[in-house]
Amino acid sequence: MDANSRRKMVTDEAARYWALLGTRPPDEVLEQEREQFTRWLRESPLHVAEMLHIARVHYALARFRGWSDVAVDPTEEASVVAMHPCSTEIPVRASGGRTDAMPVRGGPKTKWLAIAASLVAVLVGAVSLAPQISGQVIETERGERREVVLSDGSILDVDPQTRLRVKFEEHARRLYLEHGRALFHVAKNVERPFLVKVNDTTVRAVGTAFGIERRDASVIVTVSEGKVAVLTDPTAHGTLSSTSASGSGTINRISERYQRREMVQPRGQGEADGAIFLTAGQQVTVQKSGTAEPVRAVNPNRVLAWSEGRLVFDAVPLGEVVNEFNRYNRQQFQIEDAELALRPVSGVFQANDPETLIAFIRAGAPVVVRHADGEKILIVPRPPVAE
Amino acid sequence: MANPADTRLAEWFRRWHSPLRQFLAGRGRAWPADLDDVAQEVFLRLLRYEKVELVEHPQAYLFKMASNVVAEWAIRSRQRLEHEPHWLNDLVADETPESEFESAAAQGEVRRAIDTLSGRQRAVVRLHFEEGLSYGEIAQRLGVSLRIVRRDFERSYSKLRREIHLERTGARHHGRE
Repeated sequence: MDANSRRKMVTDEAARYWALLGTRPPDEVLEQEREQFTRWLRESPLHVAEMLHIARVHYALARFRGWSDVAVDPTEEASVVAMHPCSTEIPVRASGGRTDAMPVRGGPKTKWLAIAASLVAVLVGAVSLAPQISGQVIETERGERREVVLSDGSILDVDPQTRLRVKFEEHARRLYLEHGRALFHVAKNVERPFLVKVNDTTVRAVGTAFGIERRDASVIVTVSEGKVAVLTDPTAHGTLSSTSASGSGTINRISERYQRREMVQPRGQGEADGAIFLTAGQQVTVQKSGTAEPVRAVNPNRVLAWSEGRLVFDAVPLGEVVNEFNRYNRQQFQIEDAELALRPVSGVFQANDPETLIAFIRAGAPVVVRHADGEKILIVPRPPVAE
Repeated sequence: MANPADTRLAEWFRRWHSPLRQFLAGRGRAWPADLDDVAQEVFLRLLRYEKVELVEHPQAYLFKMASNVVAEWAIRSRQRLEHEPHWLNDLVADETPESEFESAAAQGEVRRAIDTLSGRQRAVVRLHFEEGLSYGEIAQRLGVSLRIVRRDFERSYSKLRREIHLERTGARHHGRE
């Protein structure tokens, strides 16, 4: 078989695996099918390459906008001879289509969240699948980000220095965020509400994507998609005061700098029984006392960029930027000069790559970078050259 | 905006991290040779993992690894250009990846490729991407079996993989036409 025919055969195989594994919810894919795919992938880099090519086709189709002009006469033949018959049939379990009725709103999102779970959920480090009954702890160290798939298909993006407990029960999916922050992509299941508790605040999700951060004494909830209900401690609730967000920590201050401050009327949100409803692009901070600040409008892509390992800064002092970086890396930055620490930084950085920050600092100020004590990076202003 | 397939897929592709998305849209200097390099590196990493780990979520590992490789290489190539001020703009531009595949030339190329499919293959992909129907729903709509729909998809993707040549359109050069 010549190289072209070989490549073509591999392309066909990749397309079959895509149709087989890329479009069904995780619970419909057999382990045998996944095993077969894994074996196939590990046979040759060509298989990996063709899989990426097929993914590219899918992306191109997803971004294509001219469907309304595309002729769809079912009797029309392809313009080129059809492909070779499949030589290795992959056993396909007849699924007969979905019979459960999808609710009108959120139905497609359910499926796509499940698909997202099947396609992009990955475990970096230890496998962490929440068992159905007993609690399970997810804990990350400094410099460690982790993506976790739960048994229901929900995905968690866990930041460094975070501790979470997961306790799935028959009628509820319960999580406890003890400290740190995480982004939750919740697989929709109205029979089993997804509840995340932080201090006395509980966030109840209805098939959605949202981030929760617990920093010091306050809790910050940001919604990327869908809707959540934030239930604060009923005894302390009742006052949506306009307390300032000072003292809530670095991240909040960073968020404040570039978000639009629009005070949203709580009643208009459908507040009931002490619940604040947040939809996509909204954020609320709940103080330890249980009082919630007014809901803010934010750009979720920027405010939640940390969940993808990107840090976004808009005129943030270098000292704070460096503190953020230090959470994501073993190597620890130290700025040895007060004035340097105050210089404002704007940009988007890959959190786990300190070199980008060093390069950036170098481009903007004369500095000397010294590596000390194993993993410490000292940044000092360059002394002026003597005459 | 508000193409239903768009918003549903938006979540999915967002999870791929913009480096992989941009890469797949052909923004490299030596595409598709770059893709083979990425595949080689991903292949080696796949071999390093215990098979039992991978079998849990093989597609996920594949795309996550590819995304990591692409991101690492992008960062390293930027460092070589660290004296050029514009690379910071590229970093900020990472936030808005929606410009890939958007140029008229790229759209035209995709359209041309779609037109090489059979009528039913076009119907199948159109129903999936324009209306967001699942394979099962498409089978019902067209009055054919699920197996046929799945095979139509397989053949369409395989065909399009060979037909779409974005690098020829110059569309990959940051959207220039």
